[in-house]
Amino acid sequence: MRPRLSTRHGTALLLALLLAAAPGATRTEAQGAGEEQVRKELDLLKEQLRRVEQQMKQQEELIRRLSGEKPGGPAPAPSAPPPSAAAPPPAPAVVDEEALKLKILEELQPQLAAANKTFPAQFNPAIGFIVDTVLSFTSRKDQGNFEFRSGELGISANVDPFVRAYAIINGTNAGGFDVEEAAIVTTSLPYNLTVKGGRFFADFGRLSKFHDHDLPFVNRPGVLDTYIGGESQSDGIEVNWLAPLDQYLTLTAGVYNKVGASNTRVDNTVPRGLEEFTYLARATTFFSLTDAQSIDLGVSNAYTPRVRVNDGGSRNLAGIDLTYRYTPLAAAAYRGLVWGNEFLLNSERQQTVPASDTGPALFRYRDAFGMYSYLEARLTRRYYPGVLFEWVEDLAHPGRVTNAYSPYFTVWASEFQRLRLQYTHLDAPRQRPEDQFFLQWTIIMGSHVHSFRDR
Amino acid sequence: MKRLFYVLVALVALLPANATGARKIRVVATIPDLADMARHVGGDLVQVTSLATGVEDIHAVQMKPSFAVLLNRADVVLLLGLEAEHAFLPALLEAARNPKILRDAPGYIDCSVYVTPIEAPTRIDRSLGDQHPMGNPHINLDPVLGKAMVRAIADGLSRNFPDDAATFHKNAAAYNATLDEAIARWRREAAPLKGKKLVSYHPDMVYFAERFGMEPFGTIEIRPGVDPTPGHIAELKQRMLKEHVEVVVRERHYPAGLAETIARETGAKLVELPAMTGGVPEAKDYISFIDYNVRTMVRAVTGG
Repeated sequence: MRPRLSTRHGTALLLALLLAAAPGATRTEAQGAGEEQVRKELDLLKEQLRRVEQQMKQQEELIRRLSGEKPGGPAPAPSAPPPSAAAPPPAPAVVDEEALKLKILEELQPQLAAANKTFPAQFNPAIGFIVDTVLSFTSRKDQGNFEFRSGELGISANVDPFVRAYAIINGTNAGGFDVEEAAIVTTSLPYNLTVKGGRFFADFGRLSKFHDHDLPFVNRPGVLDTYIGGESQSDGIEVNWLAPLDQYLTLTAGVYNKVGASNTRVDNTVPRGLEEFTYLARATTFFSLTDAQSIDLGVSNAYTPRVRVNDGGSRNLAGIDLTYRYTPLAAAAYRGLVWGNEFLLNSERQQTVPASDTGPALFRYRDAFGMYSYLEARLTRRYYPGVLFEWVEDLAHPGRVTNAYSPYFTVWASEFQRLRLQYTHLDAPRQRPEDQFFLQWTIIMGSHVHSFRDR
Repeated sequence: MKRLFYVLVALVALLPANATGARKIRVVATIPDLADMARHVGGDLVQVTSLATGVEDIHAVQMKPSFAVLLNRADVVLLLGLEAEHAFLPALLEAARNPKILRDAPGYIDCSVYVTPIEAPTRIDRSLGDQHPMGNPHINLDPVLGKAMVRAIADGLSRNFPDDAATFHKNAAAYNATLDEAIARWRREAAPLKGKKLVSYHPDMVYFAERFGMEPFGTIEIRPGVDPTPGHIAELKQRMLKEHVEVVVRERHYPAGLAETIARETGAKLVELPAMTGGVPEAKDYISFIDYNVRTMVRAVTGG
């Protein structure tokens, strides 16, 4: 803009010189042209000079206004038209503003590009895939195996303002895919209520709700495998309530076809009477001992009034889970200790003598108790050593006890890749003690949500 | 009957103590920085609680069930945003079942809305570490962005409680004026930091560095959220020696040993800094937190 101003000033200077020269010229050419004519031309030049000066003043005022200066009172409203009829040239402030916009766009462009990459799939659910593979070796048969434990596809999304949904589809060594979970969960019910329906892991105990690859050790504890039937997979409906108290307290009530993915007592596919469903109740609470120490406590009970495979006997499974955590606040990512315990009591009314002509069927209760306890330390962000102890009574012969201890060492290469080495010494009734070795390698691709239940 | 009476007494004792008291706006902030700002903006109208105490790694705050109770009763939740709280807040909000503060609800106040983040990745890929797709979330270390966070809090509270909007904005303006004065002072004090290169454990320090003219040179982590390998450390030390990096920052929630070793072997100064208000006893509020960081850094650089 500076050259343009110089041009204007130059024009004014030229006109001034012409004015200064004009009287002399009239005197030297007095004989050829009339004095009157010269005066008219002079007046015309003066008028032109006045217009140019006025135009210059207007343009300078415009420049000041656009530059944000306020000499002598407030600037006119930005919407006021420019004084000159002709379109004014872009002022410096306007050019600066454009440059600034361009600069901001340049800064934002990478972010916009990153955001736009996923735009066509914005409404697709979040997708994650987990690969869990285990190399195992057992001393009993001196045999090993590469076990493709699971390839697990997890998808989740909000459905509408009222519910969200998720599904876990699992492919295993046995072949084929299984819908491990496919559940609908409410998100906006009043009175602190949440309802879950479909197929999901029932709210029984703690580790029965963990998928295999999420367990702190390679294998699910025997008491959960035999008493619950592995993961607490259930088809049914569950209501959970957070009590409006200062103390954390949740209560769950659920009705299911059965509880336990490999619970063979009940056929999941046939209709049943109300007495053949499994009814669950659970309460959980939490105690903060210090900023760094806490205890989670849960009590669960699953009751099936009539189990067809037991010839009509009932079944009750009760459990207590207790987890102690030490997590120093300033070093939570790389220091800590977890002591997890679950105790289960299975009571089944089983037929011992079938009905006959000589008398009615005889039933008796069989109680079996089992537990596990593990202690895991967090030494760094990568290294998690631990030991698991198990003690489990046989369900059919409660006097027969299996016990096992399993030291293990977990290495987290990153949050999404884990290696685990485990040794298990297994002592089962009527069998030689067995030594087992495992090397587990697990990875997570894509979306991975930190769930409150998996804590 | 007696037993029932005792149970009832116990339940009453567990009920909120101030159930009948004056009802203040319940604000739950994820970190103490936001809690302090909210106290300034809300004044007597708010009752503020912070989930983190300030000594934690914001990416590793524990999901305590007691936090779900706090969030269940909150009128609003203040979060740093840019997915800084991804490891704990989404799951806690789900457990809290409070529709008022769910994501995108009016009570969900994202304090990064007026911030233009830096280090927004152009490619989202886990091989690049634990990325934050929207950009580096450690905005609380820059006091100028702190002003934007204050503005977001005032606007968020006003959105939820329009009757008190004038008070919130007036308080926010007053607090931001105080911050402006402090910022002018920090700029003067931080003059010796200009052009100094720094290595930090995690990319927490980029906004601080940008504000005070320092140059982030690298991180001890091989990628954000991924622990270093021996090869990475060896290469980092070589580059630091070659480029004369003078400062190694250990954010106080990361292990000390490795940062100390790197500083010693490269001749750099080790500076231990909190990443949040409350991270050290001296950083009792947001202004003293920035004060502490600026002065500690200047002292290290000038050898004072």
